[in-house]
Parts: sequence; structure tokens; C-alpha cells
Amino acid sequence: MSKRIVAEDVNAFYGSFRAIAGVSLTIEPNTVTALIGPSGCGKSTFLRTINRLHEVIPGARVEGKVMLDSEDLYGAGVDAVAVRRTIGMVFQRPNPFPTMSIYDNVAAGLRLNGIKNSKVLDEAVERSLRGANLWNEVKERLAKPGAGLSGGQQQRLCIARAIAVEPQVLLMDEPCSALDPISTLAIEDLMTDLKQRYTIVIVTHNMQQAARVSDRTGFFSLEATGEPGRLIEIDTTEKIFSNPSEKRTEDYITGRFG
Amino acid sequence: MRTSYHEQLAGVGDGLIEMSRLVGSAVSKATTALLDADLDAAEAVIVADEEVNKLYRQLDDEAVQLLARQQPVATDLRAIVTALRMSSDLERVGDYAVHIAKVARRRHPATVVPVELRATILEMGQAATRIAVKAGTVIATRDLALAAQLLADDDTIDDLHASLFATLLDGNWDHGVEAAIDVALLGRYYERLADHAVSVSHAVTYLVTGEHSDPESYASE
Repeated sequence: MSKRIVAEDVNAFYGSFRAIAGVSLTIEPNTVTALIGPSGCGKSTFLRTINRLHEVIPGARVEGKVMLDSEDLYGAGVDAVAVRRTIGMVFQRPNPFPTMSIYDNVAAGLRLNGIKNSKVLDEAVERSLRGANLWNEVKERLAKPGAGLSGGQQQRLCIARAIAVEPQVLLMDEPCSALDPISTLAIEDLMTDLKQRYTIVIVTHNMQQAARVSDRTGFFSLEATGEPGRLIEIDTTEKIFSNPSEKRTEDYITGRFG
Repeated sequence: MRTSYHEQLAGVGDGLIEMSRLVGSAVSKATTALLDADLDAAEAVIVADEEVNKLYRQLDDEAVQLLARQQPVATDLRAIVTALRMSSDLERVGDYAVHIAKVARRRHPATVVPVELRATILEMGQAATRIAVKAGTVIATRDLALAAQLLADDDTIDDLHASLFATLLDGNWDHGVEAAIDVALLGRYYERLADHAVSVSHAVTYLVTGEHSDPESYASE
């Protein structure tokens, strides 16, 4: 099931340094939202505030509100680990558990949640690998190590692992930057499939990728080094890439700045 | 791979084919309106052009979106660049059909074309309809042999255009200045719309081969 994310005046700090300031935006269910912007603009930091991953860094903290439908993710008594189960994440470099088989990589999250029934696990593994568009390539070698797959396959394995626990939101932090163009297109096609079931937020340095895959695009930027990153503009991807409202967005996407 | 992108590209092609179908029928109907002094037909052509203009704007938006979002290359890139050109040519063909219909409407219930020129205008109208329809077929099939045929059809129209002027200038014209202007304009409308159809065939040649047509073939336009 896919959910709406509403961020209200989110500020994120690393110690005393404010990395992002006053970010407010809404991410609709069953859409792909891309966050773009120059290095250091806070787009990845913002992404990590959505599943409470920012705060695992010592000294890091978040102010403001992030709502998942009606639930305040930073509310008192909310279990951060439960949040991360609901909001899955795929990272820049494919990071399958190196000593585990393909099967065990996908099943790991479910086992952690206490599921032991092998029939349930078998079904979930197949469903997730199919969902990640990897099943046909690996079904004959599920017991082989996940690390033996190609980079693109490993990344799809990580997506399968993330969706195995049936999250409601998938966050992707530059999921294709370590992949070749064909694997990249495979992941991009997969995103279009996945948004039928999940809300997807992707951070990418690749503007063309944002243009290709996303329904909405948010542009982050910062005034100067040392200043916090801010959300400059968020709109439909059509609008951002053909006629953005903010000159700073136009300058960035046309390569005149950043 | 990239299914939705390829669907969008195909959609642009379908839009062009639909435009060419509409303008082909507009040229044919405008000629009928003109020769039969049929006011209803003339009005129908004028109203129907709104649909062509709508498709034109829609195609423009779709092409810009594809360029902005999909970074098309090679044949895909040429398909979009030429689609922009072809839709603008087809839109002009539709406009000329409207001009012809408006001449008919302006003179209604009188007929515009003097009896001795009816055959020439009918022939121009038929050749113009044929070339507009062929342009649509060339878009749909990317058939370069057919694209080359459009040049011959255009020559026919150019000859008819010249013969209209010969009649106007041979010293025996006795239908007055107004009728002379109408006939001169009508000839010009058919001649121009045929040129736009030829330009569509050049665009398709470029789309298929990546090379511009023989520059000499542009000279006649």
C-alpha cells in the first residue's frame, strides 16, 4: 500500500551545522518524486530524514514534522526501526549481504521479523524477485551468493530485499550511479512498475534520469558553501524540465550554474 | 525497454497521420464548397480547422515533453524534430483549405470560378487533395518512393497554377477585377499547400535517411 508523505518545515543538523532549512513538501502516493540539485544541497540528507536514518549519525538531529499519511514519524513513542521497515531504502552502491545467497538476501528482512515458515518465505522471495524484475535471471541459482551477480542485478536484488518486507515507501539514493546505461534503464523501467504499489522518492545527480522516471521533481540548492540547503521548487516533472518557475532551477537544469 | 517512451513516440506519429487525414479531407471539401457554391461545406471546413489547430498544439507539447524528458537520439531524435516541422506544414495546409473555403463563403451564393476555369480549378483541387493524402501515407509508411512521387504531383499543380495566370493575362478576361483577384488567390493557395505537402515528404526523407534531400528539389518551392 502506498502512502502520502508530507514534510513541514524540516530542518536537519549535523551537530551545530544546519544542512537543510525549512523544507516543506508533499509527496503523493503512487508517484515517483525525484530530488535533484548540486552537491551539498541537502537532497540526500532530506531523503534520510524521511525514514529517520539521518539521526543515526552521532550529533545529527531533525526538527520539523514528517507525516506518513496521518502518522507523525517524529512523534513521541514512534519506533524509528518500525519507520525504516515501513519506508525502505536502496543505496547508491549495491550492497547485498556478501556472505548470503540470493535467496537469503531477500529473505533476511522477513526472517528478522520472525517469519520462519519456509513456504511463506519461498513465496515472498519469488514475489519480491519478480517485483524487482530479477526472478527470471536468478530463479535457477537462488542458493548462489548474491555478490556473484552483476552490478545491475545486485541493485535489483537490493530492491527485491527492500520490497520483501512490504514497505509503503521506497527511498532511493542515487540507485543507478554505479550502474551501466542498460542496467540503469532496467532500474528506471522497474521504478515505473513499482510506483503502482509504492510511493517512490529518488535522489539523483542525473537530471536526465529525473526527467525520464519521475512524475514530480524537486530542486534543492544552497546559497553558498556553509549555508543550509533549501527546496527551491517542486512541481510536475513536465513543468520543471520545460518551463520551471524559478530562475535558479532553470540555471541549474540548463547547466548555467552548479 | 522504455515502453512508455516508445508509446509516446508512436503517439506523435499517430497525431501526424490524423492531422494529414483531416487536412486532406479539408482540401477536398473546400474545393467542393468552391465549385458548388456550397455554404455549408465552406462553414464545415472553417469549423473543422479548429480540430487541426488543436492537434497541432498538442503535438507541439508532446514533442517538447519528449525532448525535455527522454533525450531522444538518432532516429528517435529525427522523428521528433521532423514531427515538429511536419505538423507545422500540415497545419498550414489546413489553413489554405480554410482560405479557399472563405473565398467560397465570401461570394456565396455566387460562384467564384468562371465557367472556363472550372476544369482547371477542379483539377488543382483534386491534385492538391491527392498530394495532401499522399503526404499522410508517406508519414505513415515512410515510403521514400512515394515521397519522391509528391514532387511530380507538385509539378502538375505548378503547371495548372501557371495556366491560371495565362488565362488571367491573355487579354480576353471579362469577369472583372474582383474575380481575377479571387482566381489569382485560389491558384496561389493550392500552389502553396502543395509545397507544404512536398516539404512533409522532404522531412520524411530526412527522418529515414538522416540526409537532407537534394537541395535542388527545394529550389522549385
